[in-house]
Amino acid sequence: MSILQKNISFDALVVGGGIAGGEAALNLATTGFKVLLVEKELSIGGKMIMLSKVFPTLDCAACITTPKVSEISRHPNITIYTSSEVSNIDKIAENNFEATIIRKPRYVVIEDCTACQLCEQACPVSVPDQYQYNLVGRKAAFIPFSIASPKAAAIDIDNCILCGACEKVCPTNCIDFTQETEEIQISVKTVILATGFKLFDPLLMPRYGYGLFKNVITSMQMERELAPTRPFNTVLRPGDGKVPDKIAYVLCTGSRDASIGNPICSQICCMYSIKQSQLLMGALPMADVTIYYLNIRSFGKGFEEFYQQAKGMGVNFVKGKIGKIRETENGNGNLILRYENINEGIVKEAEHDMVILSVGVLPNQDASNFFKKEELKLDSYKFIYQADSLISPARTSIDGVFVAGTASGPMDIPDSILSAGSASSEAISYLIQK
Amino acid sequence: MANINPKFGEALKEYGGINFNACYNCGNCTAVCSLSTPEDSFPREMVRLSVLGLEDDLKSSLKPWLCYYCGECTTHCPQTANPGELMMSLRRWLTAKYDWTGLSGLLYKSLPLSIIAFVLTAFGVIAFAFYESFNLETIIHFGHYFEMIAIGAVFTFILLPNIIRMWWFVILKPKIQVSFSTYVKSIGELIVHMFTQKRSLGCDDNQVRWFEHLILVLGYLALLFTTVFLDWFSSQNLFIIILGYVESVVVFVVTFDFMSSRIKKKKEINKFSQPSDWFFVIWLFLMGLTAFIVRVFIDLNILETNSWIYLLHLTVLVQWAIIIVPFGKWTHFLYRSFAMYFAKVQELSAQLKK
Repeated sequence: MSILQKNISFDALVVGGGIAGGEAALNLATTGFKVLLVEKELSIGGKMIMLSKVFPTLDCAACITTPKVSEISRHPNITIYTSSEVSNIDKIAENNFEATIIRKPRYVVIEDCTACQLCEQACPVSVPDQYQYNLVGRKAAFIPFSIASPKAAAIDIDNCILCGACEKVCPTNCIDFTQETEEIQISVKTVILATGFKLFDPLLMPRYGYGLFKNVITSMQMERELAPTRPFNTVLRPGDGKVPDKIAYVLCTGSRDASIGNPICSQICCMYSIKQSQLLMGALPMADVTIYYLNIRSFGKGFEEFYQQAKGMGVNFVKGKIGKIRETENGNGNLILRYENINEGIVKEAEHDMVILSVGVLPNQDASNFFKKEELKLDSYKFIYQADSLISPARTSIDGVFVAGTASGPMDIPDSILSAGSASSEAISYLIQK
Repeated sequence: MANINPKFGEALKEYGGINFNACYNCGNCTAVCSLSTPEDSFPREMVRLSVLGLEDDLKSSLKPWLCYYCGECTTHCPQTANPGELMMSLRRWLTAKYDWTGLSGLLYKSLPLSIIAFVLTAFGVIAFAFYESFNLETIIHFGHYFEMIAIGAVFTFILLPNIIRMWWFVILKPKIQVSFSTYVKSIGELIVHMFTQKRSLGCDDNQVRWFEHLILVLGYLALLFTTVFLDWFSSQNLFIIILGYVESVVVFVVTFDFMSSRIKKKKEINKFSQPSDWFFVIWLFLMGLTAFIVRVFIDLNILETNSWIYLLHLTVLVQWAIIIVPFGKWTHFLYRSFAMYFAKVQELSAQLKK
């Protein structure tokens, strides 16, 4: 049931339209190479575009990402396929790769859509909004989020009841239910994998009560609550809409924990939690914020100062991993956290009205399935293996295939951009070598 | 000033400690433990002391005995440092330290020595039987008196001094001021825990384990009483005969279940078994089973022609009484209840001090 397109060629294929993939694509494009950027979501921008601010400078993440995303979208040398996935990549020879891209229908002609939102208003279906990490709902005909790129509506066909209400109200007739999945065969000369990471799913740790207790949320949900495009326009706890005043952070949820299969440090949780705590101190000056940690790993430039700044602002830092979380019996939705205060050696319980699980970084293993003939090696933690991590960090086990950003391991935004720079430079030298 | 002793870890490994050096002190084990309280927080403290090798602090601590091994700490340990098994190995180590003869330590650490001890004891019994020309009546008579004498001797010369040593380690050496009345007031704690093990009900896992253990303890104690003081093997009283049957069945059925759990290794508590754990359950099983068969043979009037079964029972009994009870895992029965007693004593003294 899919339409086949053949013989489209580019210089480079960049898989993943997050900050690393976007940066790599932009570097290649400005050097004069033709780039195809493939993104599986409806918008490029990755996880960064969803964030509140970045550490340790407290710059607005959206304000950095959106100009970049616009530049990528408008660049004449970059072609973007959103809601598309790579199904396979074959290396024919050096500088010669053939790839198949599956482009899923959006049921909206992007070029014609004016993002007027009339379809959104007309749609009768409400489902949880994945772009707001399920904090609020959205319609089945929807614009992914306010700063999405391309900013165009999309139809969530899995939840659509095919009532046609959106089609009737659309002033530009851009909704097209006849669109079909396209299978596109392309040939490229080099490949950059920027497939990013997955966040740990705290449902795998039932003792923290995520999914059971409404006021236990993930750090990504808190990012949304703090972002300029935030769903509630204030910080509140999802259980009853109360503005929280005793907030706890549970660090190392799903990181440095062999019992759930991820023994390594995620490298970002300490700092984003400290960042969020500072933002919370600003948003809710009367709130108590406590961060329960194993070790604070403030290893980067300006990180330690940022940590000390949070302490100075009055954030409580308590050494001890949270063992169990339970709800109070009186039904006020507060949570009781059980932990050992390591400095005192005493097991304690603390009541908080909102708990944020600082979830860790897990590998996205999709890229290893792209290659059928050659083997794309993964490292022992299932991130993409860096064949020469010291001298040529973007090289993978396949010549001509490079890795950018968190696809090769946990890292923060500046490191992802550095990594993308390295990947694009190596790709360029691969492209021009004879 | 405490001296750190990194070699202590090696010693503890001989008692079954596994990978505890991997601990990164997050306190998750203490936080998930349902028996851990602000007054008595463990097991992380014990892991820390073990890693540092602070033997004196470990010797004066009652915390290893306060753990009843549900295994939650091990299941959730982010470093797979296995705190649950460390607590178990500390109990073995403490048992060895309390024992003034030092034999417990040797038998815990060395499987060949344990086997030699069991073989020598078996030879002793057979030699004795040979000396008595395999006269069943004399041997049964001896067996009956042996039990009484063994109980008295083991208690007087081994267990009582060991309890006194435990008292010295946990109360006297740390210089805890305890009044005589405190000792008297706390005595209820000793009795309750000795016969009910009710603290283990606080473990999250289940009540079935506690109940099984309870009926095993009661069945074993009652069987001991029935054979020694009611003279089960010679009794004509129908009530006593049936009582003995029931008790011996309880003992071997429950221990059979314990053995099969240790083989299946489904729960944390059953995953790691030291030879001392196996000897304890197997010998208890054999005691119950052979006692049962002996009485069946008596009732069927075929014991005269099958005296070997009584010899087997006697061998198991003697090995139990002079190896496992004084120097093996049996002692946890005493140390656990005395630990609860001393903990109560410490608690009351601390309250009085305030």
